[in-house]
Amino acid sequence: MIVESFFGSFGGRYVPEVLRTPLDELETAFREAMEDETFKNEFARLCKNYIGRPTPLLFAENATEKLGGSRIYIKLEGLANTGAHKINNAIGQALLAKRLGKKRIIAETGAGQHGIATAAVCAKLGLECRVYMGEVDIKRQHPNVFWMELYGAEVVPVGSGSRTLKDAVNEALRDWAGSFPDTHYLLGSALGPSPYPDMVREFQSVIGKETEKQIAGMEVEALVACVGGGSNAIGFFYPFIDKPFPRLIGVEAGGRGSLIGDNACRMDGTGKIGIVQGYKSLFLMDDDGQLQATHSISAGLDYPGIGPQLAGLGKKGRIEFKKASDTEALDALRFFARNEGIIFALESAHAGAEAIKMAHNGDPEKALIVNMSGRGDKDIFISAMALAPRDWILFLKEEMKIYEG
Amino acid sequence: MKGKLMAHLVASYPNYDSSLAIVEALVRGGATMIEIQFPFSDPTADGPVIQDACRRALDGGFRVDDGFRLVKEAALLAPVFIMSYGNIVFSRGIEDFVAASKDAGALGLIIADLTPGYDGGLYRAGRSAGMEIIPVVVPTVTDKRLEEITSIHPAYIYAAMRVGITGKRTDFGKESIAFLGRLATTGARILAGFGISSGEQVALLGDAAYSPVVGSAFVREIAKGGDYLERITALTAGLVSG
Ligand SMILES: Cc1ncc(COP(=O)(O)O)c(C=O)c1O
Repeated sequence: MIVESFFGSFGGRYVPEVLRTPLDELETAFREAMEDETFKNEFARLCKNYIGRPTPLLFAENATEKLGGSRIYIKLEGLANTGAHKINNAIGQALLAKRLGKKRIIAETGAGQHGIATAAVCAKLGLECRVYMGEVDIKRQHPNVFWMELYGAEVVPVGSGSRTLKDAVNEALRDWAGSFPDTHYLLGSALGPSPYPDMVREFQSVIGKETEKQIAGMEVEALVACVGGGSNAIGFFYPFIDKPFPRLIGVEAGGRGSLIGDNACRMDGTGKIGIVQGYKSLFLMDDDGQLQATHSISAGLDYPGIGPQLAGLGKKGRIEFKKASDTEALDALRFFARNEGIIFALESAHAGAEAIKMAHNGDPEKALIVNMSGRGDKDIFISAMALAPRDWILFLKEEMKIYEG
Repeated sequence: MKGKLMAHLVASYPNYDSSLAIVEALVRGGATMIEIQFPFSDPTADGPVIQDACRRALDGGFRVDDGFRLVKEAALLAPVFIMSYGNIVFSRGIEDFVAASKDAGALGLIIADLTPGYDGGLYRAGRSAGMEIIPVVVPTVTDKRLEEITSIHPAYIYAAMRVGITGKRTDFGKESIAFLGRLATTGARILAGFGISSGEQVALLGDAAYSPVVGSAFVREIAKGGDYLERITALTAGLVSG
C-alpha cells in the first residue's frame, strides 16, 4: 500500500481540524498520481534531465586502502542539481501541486538545502514560492538565503520558539491552515502528518532503487545514511527494509555531548513517544511534552523529531541507529576531501564518520555503501571556521575592509 | 440583556499569580466562561500573540501542574475549559490528563490537534470520566465530516469562524451566519471563536451561537503591560454589553 499512514504505532495525521481537508485532498491526488503513467514519466524525465539522475555510485578506493577494512562506496546524491537529495522530493511534490491546480508553494528549511531545492523547482515549474527559515539557521546558512532569493523565492525569517527547523515547520503549517485553497505545503522530510511520510519516502526511494541496481552482485555489509527528519535515509533504505540484509544504519547527530540540548539523538533511548507536528514518533522533550533544544554542527540534523517510518523500523530492529559527534563529522569531511576529492555536506559527513568507524574493523570482502546526501559547498562558513579559523577570520576581515573602506 | 462570553487566557502568562488575577479581572468584567490554555512549545494553531505568551510562560517555568492549579482556583469563579495541544495531553497520559482535569474542576477540553478519528483515545477517555471533549469545526467542513463529528454527540462544538490560525481579525458575513446555522442543527452548544475582538462581533454571535470566545484580544492587552487588569475588566464589560 502506498499510503500506510501508520508504521507500527508511529505516524498518523494529528492535525488541527482545518488541515484535514487539504491532507485528504493531497492523499487522494498522491494515490492517483502514483497510478498515472503520465505523472510517473514526467517525474522520471525531470529526474534525468533536471536533477541529473541517476547519481553515480563511487568506489572510494583510496579511503578503503587507508582504512584497511571493508570496501567503501559512496552514493553521490550531492551531485544532484542544487547539491542534495532534497530535490527528488521537491520535484515530486511540485508536480503533484500542479496536478492539484495549486499556484503557490510554501516550504520550511533548516540547512537551506530543502529551501533551495524547492525554490529551484518552483522557478523551473512556474510556481510562486515562499520559504520559512529559522532566524538561527538564516545566520548560519546565509549563502543559501541568497540562492533561494536568486531563484525568485521569498525567504521569511521565523523568530518563534528555538528559531530553527522545527519552528519553520510550525510556521509553514500555520500559513497552510489559511492558504490551502491555492497553496501546497511542500514538506522537506519524511515526517509530518500522513500522507507526507509516505509521499516523501516514495519520491526519495529513487535513491535506493538506483543503489539496488548499482550494487547488484556485490557483497554488501551495510547501507549507511545520516538521519535528520529521515528523508535521505528512508529513501536510500526503502528497497531493503523487508529483506534481512544488508544491515541498515542510520546516523544521528551526536553534537557536542550527551546532555539534552547538546545533540539531536532521538533513537539512543533519549527520545520519548509524542505527538508533534502532525505525527506520532520519538521526540526530544521534557516530562510535560515540551520540545527541547537540540544542537548539531549541521543545521539539517538539528531537529527534535524523527520520521515515523524510521522510528518504527528502529523499534523493530531492522534499522540500527548510531551517532557521530560534530568533531567526528568534521574529521570525516576532511578525510574524504583529502582521499577522494569529495566534499560531504556536514549532514552526510555523519554517515561518512560511521562508515570510517565500521570500515576499520570490517571484512575486506564486504562493501559499505554510504549515502552522501549532499555536497558541502554550502557549509563553507562553518567548515572553514572549524577547520582553518585563523585564515578564515583573516579573509572575512579583509572582505569587510573592502566594503567598509 | 448581557450575553455570554468565553474569555481565553494563557496559564502562567505573564506569571502564575498574574494569570489568576487575570481570571478574576475577566469574571469581574462579565465573562461567563473561562478558557485556560496550557502552553506548549510548538503551538501550530496559534498566531504570534498567543505564541509569544506561551513562550514567555514556558520561559518563566510553566509546568502542567501549575495549569491544573490555576484551573482549580478559576473553577471557583466560573466554568473552566482547558485548551492545549495533543503532546501535552499525551505526555501526561491521556487518562491521567482527563482525570487531573476532572479533579481540578474543568468542564471540558479543547485539544487543537486531537480530532475525532485521530484523537489517540481522548474521546473515549472523556466519555468514561464524564469530561466533555470539544471538537473544533471549521467553515470548510464537509457534510460527511460534520456527520462524523456529530455522531459522537459532543455537548459543545468549538466553531472556528474562519480558516487559518488565532489572532487575525475575522470579518463576519452571511457565510458566517450560515455556518453557525448549519452547526445549530447539531444540537450542540456552539462556542464561536477566532478573530473576535469587538462588541459588535460578540453581539452578532450572541444570537447565532451559544457563546462567543475572545482570546488574542485579551492577550494583546496583557502584552501592552501597565495596568492591564483594569483594562481587561473594562474590555470584557464592553464586549458583553455589545
Ligand atoms: C544534505 C542533507 N542531508 C541530510 C539532511 C537531513 O534531512 P533528512 O534526514 O530528511 O535526509 C539535510 C537536511 O537539510 C541535508 O541538507
